Amino acid sequence: MKKAIERLYLAIIFLFLYAPIATLIVLSFNSSKSRANWGGFTTQWYSEMLSSEVIMDALGNSLSIALFSAVISTVIGLLACIGINAMRKGPKTICLTLNNIPMLNAEIVTGLSLMICFGVFGVSLGYGTILVSHVAFCIPYVILSIMPRLKQTSTATYEAAQDLGATPLQAFFQVVLPDLMPGVLSGFLMAFTMSLDDFVISYFTRGRGINTISTLVYSQVRRGIVPTMYALSTVIFLAVLVFLLAQNFLPQKLDKLTRKLHEKRSLKGGDEGGGKWVMVAAGVLAVTALILLIVPGGEEKEEEVVYVYNCGEYIDEAVIDIFEEETGIRVVYDTFETLEAMYPIIEQGQAVYDVVCPSDYMIQKMIANDLLTPIDFSNVPNLEYIGQDYLQACRSFDPNNEYAVPYTWGTVGILYNTKLMDEVPNSWSILWDERYDNEILMQKSVRDAFAVALAYQGSSINATDPEEILAARDLLMAQKPLVQAYVVDQVRDKMIGGEAAMGVIYSGEYLYCHDENPDLAYVVPDEGSCVWFDCWVIPKNAENKENAEAWINFLCRPDIAMMNFEYITYASPNTAVIAELDEEIVNDPGVFADEATMGRCEVFTWLGDEVEEIYNESWLEILAYSDEAAGVEAVDPDSEE
Amino acid sequence: MSAPLIDLVGITKQFDDTLVLDDLNLSIQENEFMTLLGPSGCGKTTTLRIIGGFTQADKGQLFFEGKEISGVPPHKRQLNTVFQKYALFSHLNIEENIAFGLKIKKKSRQYIKDKIDYALKLVNLDGYGKRMPDQLSGGQQQRIAIARAIVNEPKVLLLDEPLGALDLKLRQDMQYELIRLKNELGITFIYVTHDQEEALTMSDKIVVMNQGYIQQMGTPEQIYNEPENAFVADFIGDSNIIDGTMIQDLVVEICGVRLPCIDTGFGRNKPVDVVIRPEDVELTLPTPDGLNGVVSHLIFKGVHYEMEVEAGGFTWLVHSTSLSPVGSKVGISVRPENIQIMNKPASEDEEAIANDE
Repeated sequence: MKKAIERLYLAIIFLFLYAPIATLIVLSFNSSKSRANWGGFTTQWYSEMLSSEVIMDALGNSLSIALFSAVISTVIGLLACIGINAMRKGPKTICLTLNNIPMLNAEIVTGLSLMICFGVFGVSLGYGTILVSHVAFCIPYVILSIMPRLKQTSTATYEAAQDLGATPLQAFFQVVLPDLMPGVLSGFLMAFTMSLDDFVISYFTRGRGINTISTLVYSQVRRGIVPTMYALSTVIFLAVLVFLLAQNFLPQKLDKLTRKLHEKRSLKGGDEGGGKWVMVAAGVLAVTALILLIVPGGEEKEEEVVYVYNCGEYIDEAVIDIFEEETGIRVVYDTFETLEAMYPIIEQGQAVYDVVCPSDYMIQKMIANDLLTPIDFSNVPNLEYIGQDYLQACRSFDPNNEYAVPYTWGTVGILYNTKLMDEVPNSWSILWDERYDNEILMQKSVRDAFAVALAYQGSSINATDPEEILAARDLLMAQKPLVQAYVVDQVRDKMIGGEAAMGVIYSGEYLYCHDENPDLAYVVPDEGSCVWFDCWVIPKNAENKENAEAWINFLCRPDIAMMNFEYITYASPNTAVIAELDEEIVNDPGVFADEATMGRCEVFTWLGDEVEEIYNESWLEILAYSDEAAGVEAVDPDSEE
Repeated sequence: MSAPLIDLVGITKQFDDTLVLDDLNLSIQENEFMTLLGPSGCGKTTTLRIIGGFTQADKGQLFFEGKEISGVPPHKRQLNTVFQKYALFSHLNIEENIAFGLKIKKKSRQYIKDKIDYALKLVNLDGYGKRMPDQLSGGQQQRIAIARAIVNEPKVLLLDEPLGALDLKLRQDMQYELIRLKNELGITFIYVTHDQEEALTMSDKIVVMNQGYIQQMGTPEQIYNEPENAFVADFIGDSNIIDGTMIQDLVVEICGVRLPCIDTGFGRNKPVDVVIRPEDVELTLPTPDGLNGVVSHLIFKGVHYEMEVEAGGFTWLVHSTSLSPVGSKVGISVRPENIQIMNKPASEDEEAIANDE
């Protein structure tokens, strides 16, 4: 009995630890994009992952950085250990303490200080800075794993070897190093896994066009993580698992193995005894050097290039390949997670991009802060395909249509499940209706959430009057107990899975959700809402302006715009695309808002720093309030969250 | 006497503020078993390391067969060392450990093989060649360390407290083993130990060191029977060291009693140190004029009884095969030839310097 309970307890612990990973692995074989639907078994995501240049580049970066930083930090760490070990007690203690501090330091502090340091010394961020940073944070771990081993080995063996006629170098390689090898090896593996796992430090020290796997995954948060990422995460998990197993078992195995070798080997074969490790080390170094020569090789060539900065999962990657093929311009494609994260990077010029894809109010802010340069439209003849209505609408943030070319657009409305409710939510008021307690999903985004409350109380979604804003805040707080959750991309999955009756969502997501679950419908309430535009703009500091214009022109080409529409499913402002599409889709107000809807919608505008401050503070209050509410919810047995 | 094999001239060594060796002079003859004996910190190991090349002297010269080798690195010296903790290479098996030096010197395979066989036989570990060092006992490892050193045919073998980590029985066995080896090999051994019994058992010549100075140099018998100062007397075996006064030649006064002795030339009424070995103290019945006392402690040691006798204001250590129970009154007598008279140093430093040769 007791035993059974013990086992059960153990099983629960393991379930708790591994259920999330198991879920991820299962989802990586799900043919439906949605987490809520099981669409059958597929390995499609794995093949897509393998054929995606962006993912493969990121993977290559992750692996090569892990390998190089592990090799370099192991060599440096080993030398440091020998030096520290030879010190007197006082300096030795100081050194080891200094060595421990970076490990205890919060990663974010390390990452930030490295970034600042590179900035101060004028080092431009890129592959090299990530590598250097990884070497820096791996060294302490290497030292930590070699040091105990070195302490065990007395200097006596080193002296004994010299006593027997070995030069100091021979003594080191033939006697000291083999003794340290298990420590060196586990230090190497530790450094490798630490580097592979790292997100924070890579995030701060990478430059444009450089992604590691972790930064790539993070950049897709806004539009929802695609299943190729599950596939990739599964692969990484398995790889790390293998490495961890190796790290734990290899040193012992290695000991045993060498022992066996020695026991079996007769003296005849014994000549290379000490040289063996030297050979291995030389081999590793040679391979490293070779890869080093190959990897950054592309950077040196003088070629046309364009640095693109887009939101994650916001383009059909095949489009990039076609562009490169047709124009001969190499695309360095980079993604950001939120507009708020993108802005400081452009503003401070840490990484220089040629063409960026922000939204309306952010474009206005960038224009106001003189961060953009007007587009030379003689280089963008395909602008003719962009509907005049849309250009007209864009004037609310780009008054002379100088800076921005619309890419996608849509509204914010309510996605609802016709099976779970009998009425059409034609009014925002339904989000305050107690009948739908715990059936409501809200957007976890300050302007979108406020737009709902502002429209409901009859204010402009661009309200600047503090009283109106605070009134909207109070409305949102009052609504809080009814809300199941504030979420970002999970609205889609929860709605598809029928977990909530309605959710606030961008119209662009509707088409995809409807395909997955035909019971879902979309409506823009009568009080009006927000219409938004994502546009391509060229930053003032762009280095390849003409290439950027070629890029924009290319995306406006009907066939390319069509590819992107099919991939992203967000409404296109391209008249040629609209003409091609089935009437059913064009007339679906969920995809292309009709004129009546447009008539009651406003475009977000930038409200200035002071007003934004009021929004942000109120938003934090709402979130804090929502935490309390969540605490109450947890006690509620009906709650699923 | 032929020219010395190794000559240390004016060797001085300082670690931080501590003077470890001060102007040390020492000659070592060929085929000699020479032991450096002294308490820890006396400079014996430093002396050995200077000969081995692992430590550089601050001042002085080191000659090997008449050539100065002070600046020659260890791997170019024709000596080999057996280290205190064996220092076997744990990643190599026994054969490879033994072959290490020969491979470095690029000897032929056959030569190496023969040497390994010979060395394993010499240390009685035939058939252990394929084992790993940690599969052997401490004593076996120590013998491998010796084998590893001697296959290189050094002219001198340096041994740094090689038996220190072994238990008593094994240590005694190894002492005989070392004597046998030395006789078979016919090379010079320089042996460092703090164990006076080890030194007395094996050495041809013992150098007693303290505080960086040589206190006395001589055969085991000389060192034991005729210690030149209180330090040596105290360090080698147990001793009763008593304040005394040299009344005149052949007469010394201790504890208020005049005793005949065989020493001369100390002058009249001179304060001296008197050394008497515990086994040289004879217990008799109390005598009217002699030194009388009471037995205060008694321990049975196997070969003899160890007793403490309070007599004349001094606690005498006595070894005797006959028993005198605690509390019994006894007389103390010592034969003249067993009384060792030494000059009294003015201070401890002077004691060290005065006896430095």
